[in-house]
Amino acid sequence: MGSDTPVAVLSHRPQLIYNYFKQLFAQVTNPPLDGIREELICDISLTLGSDHNIFEVDQRHCRKLKIQNPVISKEDLDKIKSFGENPDFRVVSLPIKYTASRGHNGLEEALEDLLRKASLAEQQGARILILSDRNLDAEQAPIPALLACSYVNSGLQRLKKRSQISIIVESAEPREVHHFALLFGFGASAINPYLVNEIIAEQIAGGNLPDCSFEEAIANYNKAIGKGILKVMNKIGISTLNSYRGSQLFECLGLNTGMVRKYFPNTPTRIEGIGLYEVEKEVAVRHRKAFQSQHIPGDLDLEPGGEYRWRRNGEKHMFDPMSVALLQKAVRNNEPSTYKEYSRSINEQSRQLMTLRGMFEFTNFDPIPLEEVEPWTEIVKRFKTGAMSYGSISREAHENLAIAMNRIGGKSNSGEGGEDPERYYQTQNGDWRNSAIKQVASGRFGVTSHYLTNAAEIQIKMAQGAKPGEGGQLPGPKVNPDIARTRNSTPYVGLISPPPHHDIYSIEDLSQLIYDLKSANRKARINVKLVSEVGVGTVAAGVAKAKADVILISGHDGGTGASPLTSLKHAGLPWELGIAEVQQTLVGNDLRNRVVVECDGQLKTGRDVAIACLLGAEEFGFATAPLVASGCVMMRVCHLNTCPVGIATQNPELRKKFEGKPEHVVNYMYFVAQELREIMAKLGFRKLEEMVGQVGKLDRSPAIDHYKAQGIDLSPILHQVLVPEGTQLGNTHAQDHKVGESIEFEIIEKAHPALFRKEKTNLDFRIRNTDRAVGAIISNEISKIYGAKGLPENTLKINFTGSAGQSFGAFATRGLSLVVNGNANDYLGKGLCGARLVLKVPEGATLRPEENIITGNVCLYGATSGEAYINGKAGERFCVRNSGARAVVEGIGDHGCEYMTGGVAVILGSTGRNFGAGMSGGIAYVLDSQGGFLKKCNNDSLNLLPVTEDPDVEELRELVENHYNATQSPRAQKILESWEAYLPKFVKVFPEEYRQALERLENEQLETS
Amino acid sequence: MGKITGFMEYKRRVEAYDPVNERLKHYREFTQPLKTEELKRQGARCMDCGIPFCHSGCPLGNLIPDFNDAVYRGQWKKAAELLHATNNFPEFTGRLCPAPCEEACVLGINEDPVSIENIEKNIAEKAFEAGWIRPEPPANRTEKEVAIVGSGPAGLAAAQQLNRAGHRVTVYERDEKPGGLLRYGIPDFKLEKGVIDRRLEILSAEGIEFRCGVHVGIDLPAASLLEDFDALLLCGGATLRRALPIPGTELKGVVQAMDFLAQNNRKVSGTSFEGEAIGARDKQVIVIGGGDTGSDCIGTAFRQGATSVVNFEILSKPPVGRPEGQPWPFWPMRLRSSSSHKEGAERVFSISTKSFEGDDQGNLKSLITVEVEWTRDSNGGRTLKEIEGTEKEWPCDLALLALGFTGSEPSLANSLGLQMDSRSNIQASDKDYKTNIPGVFAAGDQRRGQSLIVWAISEGRQAAHHVDAFLMGQSGLPLKGEGDLPRI
Repeated sequence: MGSDTPVAVLSHRPQLIYNYFKQLFAQVTNPPLDGIREELICDISLTLGSDHNIFEVDQRHCRKLKIQNPVISKEDLDKIKSFGENPDFRVVSLPIKYTASRGHNGLEEALEDLLRKASLAEQQGARILILSDRNLDAEQAPIPALLACSYVNSGLQRLKKRSQISIIVESAEPREVHHFALLFGFGASAINPYLVNEIIAEQIAGGNLPDCSFEEAIANYNKAIGKGILKVMNKIGISTLNSYRGSQLFECLGLNTGMVRKYFPNTPTRIEGIGLYEVEKEVAVRHRKAFQSQHIPGDLDLEPGGEYRWRRNGEKHMFDPMSVALLQKAVRNNEPSTYKEYSRSINEQSRQLMTLRGMFEFTNFDPIPLEEVEPWTEIVKRFKTGAMSYGSISREAHENLAIAMNRIGGKSNSGEGGEDPERYYQTQNGDWRNSAIKQVASGRFGVTSHYLTNAAEIQIKMAQGAKPGEGGQLPGPKVNPDIARTRNSTPYVGLISPPPHHDIYSIEDLSQLIYDLKSANRKARINVKLVSEVGVGTVAAGVAKAKADVILISGHDGGTGASPLTSLKHAGLPWELGIAEVQQTLVGNDLRNRVVVECDGQLKTGRDVAIACLLGAEEFGFATAPLVASGCVMMRVCHLNTCPVGIATQNPELRKKFEGKPEHVVNYMYFVAQELREIMAKLGFRKLEEMVGQVGKLDRSPAIDHYKAQGIDLSPILHQVLVPEGTQLGNTHAQDHKVGESIEFEIIEKAHPALFRKEKTNLDFRIRNTDRAVGAIISNEISKIYGAKGLPENTLKINFTGSAGQSFGAFATRGLSLVVNGNANDYLGKGLCGARLVLKVPEGATLRPEENIITGNVCLYGATSGEAYINGKAGERFCVRNSGARAVVEGIGDHGCEYMTGGVAVILGSTGRNFGAGMSGGIAYVLDSQGGFLKKCNNDSLNLLPVTEDPDVEELRELVENHYNATQSPRAQKILESWEAYLPKFVKVFPEEYRQALERLENEQLETS
Repeated sequence: MGKITGFMEYKRRVEAYDPVNERLKHYREFTQPLKTEELKRQGARCMDCGIPFCHSGCPLGNLIPDFNDAVYRGQWKKAAELLHATNNFPEFTGRLCPAPCEEACVLGINEDPVSIENIEKNIAEKAFEAGWIRPEPPANRTEKEVAIVGSGPAGLAAAQQLNRAGHRVTVYERDEKPGGLLRYGIPDFKLEKGVIDRRLEILSAEGIEFRCGVHVGIDLPAASLLEDFDALLLCGGATLRRALPIPGTELKGVVQAMDFLAQNNRKVSGTSFEGEAIGARDKQVIVIGGGDTGSDCIGTAFRQGATSVVNFEILSKPPVGRPEGQPWPFWPMRLRSSSSHKEGAERVFSISTKSFEGDDQGNLKSLITVEVEWTRDSNGGRTLKEIEGTEKEWPCDLALLALGFTGSEPSLANSLGLQMDSRSNIQASDKDYKTNIPGVFAAGDQRRGQSLIVWAISEGRQAAHHVDAFLMGQSGLPLKGEGDLPRI
């Protein structure tokens, strides 16, 4: 339920220039970051004044005005002006306006004049430049602030004067986070949104904001925007506004090259679009409206909007009352004629130019009889439903999609949230609620060996269309006991999906995770989900080389109604651009044959599917439309738990209102497939695979009559890469994952008595650091036979000697006991689900284990159960997102126990910084011998308590004893020997949310008993 | 916006009615207003949908979620502004509209819909009480003059809009006072006439001129309007009454509903009427026709003192809920019961009147009816079949014919040379409301055939935009925008 309004360049309504820019975000090549939980590395302060040579250390560097939050009030601006006497901070204010009657010539000249004046001001000693659009009138219209800011920014750079002067924008325009992000991204050092300030003043005067004063309200607004900007920066992995300022991390959509080169140099723009002429026209429309048109009594001063919620006179939406009503009628009554009306309404909406695909038409017809086209039952096998978790949508809605897709041989997607194992097995009436696609997202909720084993496809979500570069959050109250069970977490403890996968900071890491998952289920295809943006082709090429089986390209418009509005509208690009870029890059590098390319993002009709296919996709995902078929009415309250049709809610009363049936979804898929078959027949394709990448069958429609769309150049999308004959345009063969070379097959052969007869078996092997994900394959075999409960404890014990490769013990399940005498690489015990891991210094080693690192970063990421005893120090992000494993380690790096929701971590040595950030559950016992732990702890919502009472003392002692017994750790020995002396030095880290949840559970149990 | 959980916490409530025996003693409105706090709760039930189907289902495009939210927050003035932005006369629609918005309300899928119409009425009443509804004459005048024929809701809405655009507007009305069906068709117990007068005072003060008692085409040649005005907008309504071609219609006591209602409305307002008095006192009354007019006849007959009232409807009895094949959000043909129906009338469905029987003095004495059944033919159309052996005689002293209207009176169209469509309406598209004669426009029932007040106001507003654009080359008058839900 993402954005279904037209992109700015196709909108009939005048758009602010900000809307022609899309925020870039990090995927695969670097991680996005979590500015809330990792606040210690984030900063949005900026300085005003001249910059000097950073290689020369002198006092001039200090002559700066520092602004803690560069979204400022008028009062702040006045303060800055008051420094004007000081030569280091001399202020010059330049108006940014032009004579409206002179049209775009007036605008162009005004920009030149502005740059001239800015340059002159610098020459005359100005160090702070205020660009102001105050004092407009009927003759003078504003220069768009972004245009002015960027032109002065880039112009002064060209003139080599930029570092001498700071730019402040004083404008009525900026009001949304995206606006501010752009202004900073194109060089502003501070922004005063004076119109917003005046609106707030008016609201306060009108009594609409009874709870705060004007100053508080302004401060709140500025703070909120500041946080919003931080989030935008975090999406691309930047932590300080100082580095984001002037970074131009945006892509233009719908601005022509001439305009971008001149005013926004070096910003990518791919399909051309409007120029200064049209920009001026849009300004003029608004200006006329404000100053010239006559007020009609009875009319509202402000339009009702319609950007986020449909209104008759507002922005157009693809899902409007008619299309929703027709689709629901069609699928409920199984009426092909009504579906045709629906698809006409959507396809014509596209032709009324709401999407890039609306600008295409089919060409080079070569009709064949419809009967010769492969049957719909074959086509729907390529159809999937979108990744929506049980948690974000109700059990009823989630299972409804799964049953429907299993009936037709398509695939539904678990989303990020695990799945109740009951659903893996067919019910007696033949319904199968298992999601064919199991998602592995950054929260790793419920990702166990058993879960992975029951997947036909495993999807690694690198980004999400509606909010690429961002994580997610399921607030505590929504985590009811059912959901907690499927996610392997504690009821009523909030769950955070971090923006990055903490085991993927690079393409190599992704390759590792693909290998891990392939080991966990060799039959499943590994699917990597990316979001369309400039450069996604290069990323996709890397992902193909990293051995993904399927690459999913999501459009910007896909996704959840629970997404932040800034992301919904302003991050990510249409899939038309993404699929085209990916296809061209993969074909050009002869990588296309080894991967399947999938497309999703507001696919609604057979025509949409046909275009995606011709551009290069061979599988297709649908999310909003099948939900609408199931009863969704686009309330857009997915985040509020109040969905009135029982879909995006966990409220038992509301869930009763769900009226969707699998037939409705099946009917929808059938209708789409039939429409697609009709198009295939016209174009002359018998099988869908023949159609993939045949861009020659698409052309720009000549019938486009839209003043802004005239300038769009679709040829980059329709470009056919020149390649040697025989180069494949679609998938022809599978990836070679080389999982077959794993030492685990050797182990399995010898572990026969354990695997099949549950006999206790001890095996010894040597291990090398090229042996990766050891444990995953055996666990897969165990899960296949014994399900989630695995084998009895310690049934199969394997002693390894040597240096274990990455992901040792990944997804290792119950009954396994894996011991390494030596050391291990990163990701030890990733997704651990029941096994016992022991890592100890090899016998005869002379080093002191508690002072040496024995394993790398991100150990026990997403572990759900099991134990780990680590006889030495671990790297960063130990136990990140642990939700059930118990671990003992002798020291860790930064960000320990981040996002932990359950389990126990015992740290018998020092910790790094930011311990326990976002930790909402579980317990950590930290031996704070030096007394510095408090400072390193991100203790906003943590209780730090002494360990004085049972069962805490008992639990801690048991774990330390286990650790000693498993590893003969000298440190453990010492602690046990002087237990009474050490006990007071332990700190119990007990998240407040966890405490409340446990209390609530206890009360509930008392009530039921 | 709104209260997020309002719909889960509060139940739908609308104004209750005074008890039947009380309300039958007079012709005044008889609703019991809700308290302000309760109205706010009703506003809180609105869910502020991503797609507000109500806003689509409302032919005016009322900004329903927006004013519901304002009501919830107690911002009545803002609510009134939002309401008047799309609806010139919410005090009329708030009383009389069958509320297609409520049928399209998302909450109505599985709960009682938001009481939108009642909220609308209360916003309008609060606005009048508070004195926020004041004449707002246009700041500038254009020197253009527009004549509007007909002062029903379409004509009045168009007049106010065109006047707002600065044109000089003259409204011609053949009856003695403006209002059309609002004044002469709708009984006071549904719309007290003071409500119309209150609005007319505003319109007059804004500069609109009313010429009543002038029957254009009879008292005044239509062609002269074309000469004297820059544009002419016809909003004369669909006034041709459907006849009942059966024996006995000439009998004394067989009366057209409109004659009965109009006369009674004149009586209630203390004005004189022409022709013989028609009364229902101590009579056995049968109202033929199960629509709104029929319902108004029932309530009026009871108030006049009828001994019994029976209401015939030729269609079969519809279900109370949505019938099959008429899913949300579309307008369903379901059983609707008005306050008048609840005053003691017997409703008979699937019944067709064969003849009226009289005594030797030519007075109506009974009706002969037959039961009918409807079948679907192969084309999906419905055909009527009389059921043999179901003839029945109903004693009756007064039969009121409320069979609907078949179109516009042809005289005006003929004298101007206007094209009519196949349903006897003046031919004009709802794209621009232009007739075949340049400068002549048509709107409301005269263009679309008999319909709802809400459609009349909507057409008046839309037509005003196109008249203004015709006069000025462009228009700043608002249009409602696309999104009307079709009838299925």
